[in-house]
Amino acid sequence: MIRTAPRRLVDYAPIAWPALMLVLFFVLPFGLMLAVSFFRRVPGGFYQPDFVLANYARFLTAFFGNVLGFSLGLALLVAVIAVALAFPFTYLLSRMRRRQQVPWLVFLLAVLSLSEVIIGFSWSTLLSRTAGVTNLLVLIGLMDQPVSLSPGFGAVLTGMTYQAFPYAVLVLYPSLSRLDPTLTEAARTLGASPLRSFFTVVVPALRNAILATVIMVFVFALGSYLLPQLLGRPQQWTLSVLITDQAIYQSNMPFAAAMAVFLVLVSLALVVLSTLLGQKEGRT
Amino acid sequence: MKTTIGRRGFLAASGAAVAALGLPHIAKAQAKSLKIGVYGGYFKDSFDKHIFPEFTKASGIAVESIAEPTGAAWLVQLEQAARARQAPADVSMIAQTSMLKGMTVDLWAPLDLKKIPHAEAVLPHLVNKYPDGRIAGVGAVSWYITLVSNTKVFPAAPTSWAEMWDAKLKNQLGLLALVNNSFLLEVTAATFFGGTKVLDTDEGILKVMAKLAELKPNVKLWYRDEAQFEQALKAGEIPMGQYYHDVTSLAAGDGQPVRSTFPKEGGINDAGSWAVSKASTALDAAQVFIDYMSQPKIQALLSRKVGTSPTIPRKLTDLTDAEFAAVSSEIPPIIPRYDLYQAKEDWLAQKWTELIVG
Amino acid sequence: MSGLVLDGIAKSFGTVVALHELSLTIPQGKFVCLLGPSGCGKTTLLRLVAGLDLPSAGRIRLDGADITDLPAHRRDFGMVFQSLALFPHLSVGENIAYPLRIRGASKADQAAEVTRLLDLVRLPGIADRPVSRLSGGQRQRVAIARALALKPKLFLLDEPLSALDAKLREAMQIELKLLQERLGITTIVVTHDQREAMTMADLVVVMSAGRIQQAAPPVEVYCHPVNAFVADFIGTTNLLQGQVVAPGRLGLPAGEISVPGLPAGGATAISVRPENLRLHAEGGGENRVAACVTFIRDLGATVEMRLDAAGQELILVMPPADLPELRPGAGVFVELPAAACVVLSP
Repeated sequence: MIRTAPRRLVDYAPIAWPALMLVLFFVLPFGLMLAVSFFRRVPGGFYQPDFVLANYARFLTAFFGNVLGFSLGLALLVAVIAVALAFPFTYLLSRMRRRQQVPWLVFLLAVLSLSEVIIGFSWSTLLSRTAGVTNLLVLIGLMDQPVSLSPGFGAVLTGMTYQAFPYAVLVLYPSLSRLDPTLTEAARTLGASPLRSFFTVVVPALRNAILATVIMVFVFALGSYLLPQLLGRPQQWTLSVLITDQAIYQSNMPFAAAMAVFLVLVSLALVVLSTLLGQKEGRT
Repeated sequence: MKTTIGRRGFLAASGAAVAALGLPHIAKAQAKSLKIGVYGGYFKDSFDKHIFPEFTKASGIAVESIAEPTGAAWLVQLEQAARARQAPADVSMIAQTSMLKGMTVDLWAPLDLKKIPHAEAVLPHLVNKYPDGRIAGVGAVSWYITLVSNTKVFPAAPTSWAEMWDAKLKNQLGLLALVNNSFLLEVTAATFFGGTKVLDTDEGILKVMAKLAELKPNVKLWYRDEAQFEQALKAGEIPMGQYYHDVTSLAAGDGQPVRSTFPKEGGINDAGSWAVSKASTALDAAQVFIDYMSQPKIQALLSRKVGTSPTIPRKLTDLTDAEFAAVSSEIPPIIPRYDLYQAKEDWLAQKWTELIVG
Repeated sequence: MSGLVLDGIAKSFGTVVALHELSLTIPQGKFVCLLGPSGCGKTTLLRLVAGLDLPSAGRIRLDGADITDLPAHRRDFGMVFQSLALFPHLSVGENIAYPLRIRGASKADQAAEVTRLLDLVRLPGIADRPVSRLSGGQRQRVAIARALALKPKLFLLDEPLSALDAKLREAMQIELKLLQERLGITTIVVTHDQREAMTMADLVVVMSAGRIQQAAPPVEVYCHPVNAFVADFIGTTNLLQGQVVAPGRLGLPAGEISVPGLPAGGATAISVRPENLRLHAEGGGENRVAACVTFIRDLGATVEMRLDAAGQELILVMPPADLPELRPGAGVFVELPAAACVVLSP
């Protein structure tokens, strides 16, 4: 409730900066992309300002439906796995002494600073037949001969989860380190084993943080286009890969923009939906 | 001072060509500087080191080299700048499909071959012409994509592209991921359909694609990133595929267990052309540059230092057999059907994606 | 025997000794307060009993059974934390039912128990409320109800009332004591508030610097503190240093007095509670010393007077009605009754 409505331009000053940033970094780029998505593609050339729906029409096929479905599913799977791994890790990390936490956080930041290309190359080597981890398994007698694990779905999933893991940890870290440690102790005195208290107290008490992290990692994974093409077969190429192909190799900006707009809208809708569900659940 | 030296150097170096060009032209050109767009990275580094300083010495024209981004981005930039009568580069190295796209909007300034006498020797398929016969571009560099293999995994060299279809090669090939950079339609057509004419019709293209689809189980990696395949090829992880002849030869020379083979159907001969933006005000200097680059000794220098195949017949150059073999072959090449990627771009891209993703 | 026995318990964190070796027996059904300043080791001791930390040495026995190595979740003790540690994602009823749910009790049993416990802490009908919408006192009671849901053998509370305002705290102290008496449950409360300890405890365990200083009923701790720390920490007192000059005679700067239980000789300290001092206009009686009034303040219910007795400060408390006409600077005589003088061990 605002008691006096802003009357003069000056009254809006406090929100001017954030509004400017929002316009500059979100509204303008997205607006441009939206505009281009309706432009007319000039075959074999460029595009012309226009208002055509052809770019969206081309997208609405079973083929792209499948790719979109796969991309969303992959991103969700990556998000769920990354958070499932990151949550207990971050919980244990936040229970360490401050001094022991710092090297881990520095290490995670170092992983974050790795480019997608380096991560992709490292994993394709690690999962290769000639130099990969299976050679170790052969060495200790667990396998008969080394096999190649990349490219493939498992490789894409591994690479993307690896990349998402430090993000998940750093997003979860503040809420987990703020969690009152006596909550788990209380659960223990009330008869819950440490594992049980983790699942009945820590996880549900932080479900909003978990949901927020899953959403963030999901959106992050949805934009990944290098790892699916470095570690995947064509069947694992996500919509982001196809968008990149259209934009860079086919110079079909209108179609690339249309696909990107669609992807943004679908993921936005999913995020809103899951937030609403989370709130509803939180109230009961 | 610099101008004088440059002029003397140019006079000394160019010899007969100078006489043909005439003095007024030189006087005009030497006052200028030229912005030259070259693919960023390896090409730009090599040109900055081996070519541009010599050119400036010879012509008196100062060079500002500009790194071009990959793909069509540079074309889009040039085109948009041209609308504003700006030229981010006067003359640029342009891929063949981009040449065709630029022609549709008259982006390239017509070149006067009289002012580029050395271009006469450039192989005909490397001279870009507008439909009405005007010259849009002249071949700058050309290179081959060949059949490469790991010598440890395959002691005997393959001889034909057809060997890629061998069922024994399941999951062993690395191929370029895009229709307009792998040129696999042309390879398939040349290998199984007697040449690329079959690609003239949509039915022909679909027939070729059906044949290509049989190859899919053999493909382990459809790559966009060249380094990824190169590494896998050297390690034997992906022991066969298509790759750049010059880079593979270099690696073999370094002792890596790889080889590049020109199959009997020919290697894929791709090229970049020099083209001048119509917004450029330095057309004359640009033509001096293009002429300089088309000289046999510069083409030979490029083959030796940059690893590109000459854009002119081999006999005009002083390349030894070994030097020539490192960058090219006498076997007639498979020449990509750039016209298709221009005329049927979206349809081809869509069918291709469905072919390999599906 | 029945009750809790701490036998030679010690606890160190790295090189820091939190608890020196100590032993303590808490009989079944008693209300015990661990009392001491912050950092004295009282919370550490409680956590060892709860099983949240393991002792570095010693054994803990309950009703004869050794529970030293029993993990916290199998001890079945009810504990109330200083932060209360109510689960924010659960309602009041779900919080209270948590230990029952963990043990697989049926929904009906859980509901019945929640109702019973909410009645017990006098908060009926709030089972469905989220804990975030409770007042401080209500949260307190819910935490107590949750800890009691197991019908625990031992009820442990760590500074349970420290977050409440003074009035509510006093009311809760009484309520907690009455509840404990009704249930007959062995209870250990950690507190730094000596009034709280005096109000509730059957046994006060005064701790300082990782050691038990005195463990005794409240009145005894008050009237017969064993050392200067206890005497000073519990209420207000006059700590007087003197020399034993003859058997039963202590020499103070202001004069000699009779004190029972003095050692044979040497320097000795005694404690005399302010309310036990008597004011006289004349000297000459037993245990009277001359003093000079330095300060008087009337607190309404009592009057406090500070005096100087040959360099030693004395504090004297009396009912306002007994206050004679005196001004600071007046010379008086103060009687230190022999029965009220407690000899402190060094």
